[in-house]
Amino acid sequence: MSYLDLKGINKSYGQFVALNDVNLSAAKGEFVTFLGPSGSGKTTTLMIIAGFEKATTGSVEIDGRPLQGLAPHERNIGIVFQNYGLFPHKTAAENVYFPLQMRSVKRAAGLKRAEEMLELVGLRDFGHRYPKELSGGQQQRVALARALVFEPSLLLLDEPLGALDKNLREQMQIEIKRIQRALGVTTIFVTHDQTEAMSMSDRIVVFEGGRINQVAAPLDLYHKPETRFVAGFIGESNLIEAVVTDPVARTASAAHLGEVEYAPTDKAKKGQGVTLMIRPEHMRLSRNPIEGRRNAQMKVETIVNYGDNALVIGKVGDLTMRVRVLGADVVIIKENQDCCISWTPDAVYLIAK
Amino acid sequence: MTRFMKWLGVVVVIFIAAPLVIVVPMSFSTARSLQFPPPGYGLGYYQAYFSDPSWLIPTWNSIIIATATTVLTMLLVVPATFALVRHQFRGRSIADLMMLMPLAVPSIVMAVGYYSYFGAMGIVHTHIGVVLAHTALAVPIAFLVLSANLKGFDRTLERAAMSLGASPTKTFIHVTLPILRPGLIISALFAFIHSFDETVVSIFISGRNAETLPRKMFDSIRQEADPVIAVISTLLFALVLLGLVGPRLVAALRNRRPRVQAA
Ligand SMILES: Nc1ncnc2c1ncn2[C@@H]1O[C@H](COP(=O)(O)OP(=O)(O)O)[C@@H](O)[C@H]1O
Ligand SMILES: [Mg+2]
Repeated sequence: MSYLDLKGINKSYGQFVALNDVNLSAAKGEFVTFLGPSGSGKTTTLMIIAGFEKATTGSVEIDGRPLQGLAPHERNIGIVFQNYGLFPHKTAAENVYFPLQMRSVKRAAGLKRAEEMLELVGLRDFGHRYPKELSGGQQQRVALARALVFEPSLLLLDEPLGALDKNLREQMQIEIKRIQRALGVTTIFVTHDQTEAMSMSDRIVVFEGGRINQVAAPLDLYHKPETRFVAGFIGESNLIEAVVTDPVARTASAAHLGEVEYAPTDKAKKGQGVTLMIRPEHMRLSRNPIEGRRNAQMKVETIVNYGDNALVIGKVGDLTMRVRVLGADVVIIKENQDCCISWTPDAVYLIAK
Repeated sequence: MTRFMKWLGVVVVIFIAAPLVIVVPMSFSTARSLQFPPPGYGLGYYQAYFSDPSWLIPTWNSIIIATATTVLTMLLVVPATFALVRHQFRGRSIADLMMLMPLAVPSIVMAVGYYSYFGAMGIVHTHIGVVLAHTALAVPIAFLVLSANLKGFDRTLERAAMSLGASPTKTFIHVTLPILRPGLIISALFAFIHSFDETVVSIFISGRNAETLPRKMFDSIRQEADPVIAVISTLLFALVLLGLVGPRLVAALRNRRPRVQAA
């Protein structure tokens, strides 16, 4: 059952095409993330849903009802902006009361409701403070409470955590998920941070250059990227150009590696140019070749230590390869040494596009 | 370097404060004309000022003219500033320039222009004439202050308000206006002060009927150097001081009492 529908949305600014045939359906209560690099059209899509921008063609529907012709204030959509957009001349409680005031709720009852909402976002007793008397994270929570207090039919968050430091970010990610689940509000969350998208979303929509590249659950996106762009954007990966030599035996030939066997797929055709993806954690590093695995000689160039694990970067011929090893295992290898990397055919994922 | 800057600061402050140091004591003088230092102190000239119609009428004229100028200026400047800052249209940069033109033209040129032009219209030596002339001069100043404020206004706030259910009109009333209020007040204050303070154009066109305070002061100092001038200067200074310090005092008092009690 779809609740939110974007149908064939195009948006041009003069000659420039900002959105190209954007189609999307979201179920009620779903947490959908728009992920993509800066300038890929995420904000433009949100602003079209909210009614601040007009699509050149296409339509937005909520619960089967087209939003066309409705002004932003008639749409009942809650938005949290990146810089919070709190009213500086109103206290936290008055900010949260504002949407209720616009809906003719009496001041006393509305302020009481606002305080309850502030309590839900963990800001009990902060109602009387002005925005400038609150920290970034607290302002964020007030903005969230304000966008939710009027029971919107949709919640839009445009890079809401961009301005927060790392610890606070992670804390707010958990908070936002908790509150979203508690209220069951259908949510679109915009970010350019792939780990944030992975940890929070029911589904991720990957934007690239004004187009939707892929829509999938986080783990599907990680393990089964449909395009080279998605494979490169989500997590670390080795992307190898190859040409399919035998679709039956599932082999492709790649420069510096020779014939490589790949995992089962129905997408390969003989002679087709493809990309083979091997995640760094699906490869092993050893001094000598390992029996039963596909091996290749690598000259180590850089070791990036993360403590619990390390990323070993080196060259197979001219091809740069990345291998993830456990932190404890990194002692066996030094920079500028030759070593062996190995994998099994299941780890080789073929991307046709 | 910092030492030099400090001394420079002190010199500047002395330079600015010097006229006050001279004028304020002179207003309490008992001398027959402007004289420093005063031979004795008293309130005689304050009494003279508040009981002499030849001083009170120009004061009243100035208040009426400055108030009318402020209202007229703001009626023109507020919509014009919104249009010029927020909208793109053909001829915008020319309109921008025209708003500021009166600042570039020397007052004396403006004054002569108004004298002959208003003469032909039959409104020279009238309140309306002076108000129109002062408005033309106050518009660029009020515009500069307000447009700086409006350019710094974060439009996400308006989008936020609309997403929360406020119509464009309610957004303007509940969000735009209150946030711009300090800018509007300062802009209006500048318009008022400019009119109240304006001398050159007033000398040319205010005549006997609409004689303003600065014009009267100018006439007086040419003829007799009446120490009442020092009284007026002192009173104006006190008023400006009140205008500057007053709002901060109110804000400080209000901050001590939180407006919304936590439930
Ligand atoms: N008002 C506008 N006029 C012209 N181009 C615009 C306008 N708004 C956005 N764009 C362009 O549309 C593209 C998508 O922008 P946006 O949706 O803000 O990207 P994102 O939020 O993914 O970073 C960008 O290249 C941007 O420069
Ligand atoms: Mg954006």
